[in-house]
Amino acid sequence: MPDDEPSVLRQLARLSTIGISLVAATAIGLLIGLGLDRLFGTKPWLTMLFALFGIAAGFLNLFRDVGLIRKS
Amino acid sequence: MANGMSKKPSGGKSLWVILAALVVANLLVGLFLAPRHVGLHNPPLLQLPNFLASIGVPGEWLPSHITFTWLVMTILVIFGWAVGRNLRAVPNPVQNFAEVVIEGFYALLDQMIGRQGRAFLPLVGTAGLFILTSNLLANIPGFQPPTANWNTTIALALTVFIAYNYFGIRKHGLRNYLKHFCGPIWWLAPLMFPIEFIGHLARPVSLSIRLFGNIFGEESVVTILLGLSWLVMPYLIWLGVMLPLSLFTAVVQTFVFIMLTMVYIAGAVEEGHGEEHH
Repeated sequence: MPDDEPSVLRQLARLSTIGISLVAATAIGLLIGLGLDRLFGTKPWLTMLFALFGIAAGFLNLFRDVGLIRKS
Repeated sequence: MANGMSKKPSGGKSLWVILAALVVANLLVGLFLAPRHVGLHNPPLLQLPNFLASIGVPGEWLPSHITFTWLVMTILVIFGWAVGRNLRAVPNPVQNFAEVVIEGFYALLDQMIGRQGRAFLPLVGTAGLFILTSNLLANIPGFQPPTANWNTTIALALTVFIAYNYFGIRKHGLRNYLKHFCGPIWWLAPLMFPIEFIGHLARPVSLSIRLFGNIFGEESVVTILLGLSWLVMPYLIWLGVMLPLSLFTAVVQTFVFIMLTMVYIAGAVEEGHGEEHH
């Protein structure tokens, strides 16, 4: 991404993703885990694993967005 | 409040008197004259009979978000046709306006994606104009914005999701595109791939829920406020507060949507080049 001077609106667009994408990633990980558990019959394990993946994905997104904002 | 009133200069005092009189009048009207049942669910201005019942759309009328999606499409198609019918080197006002809009999109694309950005004008421009038109439609009484329904926004967000993944695969090939999901260290790939995958899946969800939530919430507040319109105050509040606020929301949410679309496309198209580490 070629970065000229960062405009306020551009930062607003990025910042407004943070809250929702943290929640959305966690929820999607949890849902994938629940679905796979129902598919394979391994009741709690895949749910836990994929919920952790989802939380990790949410925080990865968050750190990326914040890091980008701080840099640009 | 009493302190604030006593410090006001005398010019401000008459305003407070008028407001107080309005409140008293409202209360009197509300207590003695008002209708007791207020209908919130008035039908929108535009309704089509349900001719899609054979393919399983329920109800007597078509759902309003479908009707108003078609209305917005009609507006945009007619506008595009009117502009494209006779293009001149010296533009008439309509063509001038269209050129300003397109130039604005080009500037954004150049800034966000770079040299190859202009190729994505059809996707970004269509999404932006559609969302802007339907958000602004919310401000006309009797019209309902199609973006206040999650079905519309999830369709837009899934289009963007599929499109940017397609652009990335077309640019780098499937193998290189997926390789980027696995992170820089090869033995961390089984850990990184699901995390990146879920992170990408979260994008259309957050895109669609943000747009839907903002427009739907604003629409609900306006509906409830105007449902109370047997008091006179809600009209004033709507004109003074909600109308400017919802015009602002309409523009900002459109901007956020196309901005994020361009960020995602830029990430998909550029991230094979080795750096990307912001």
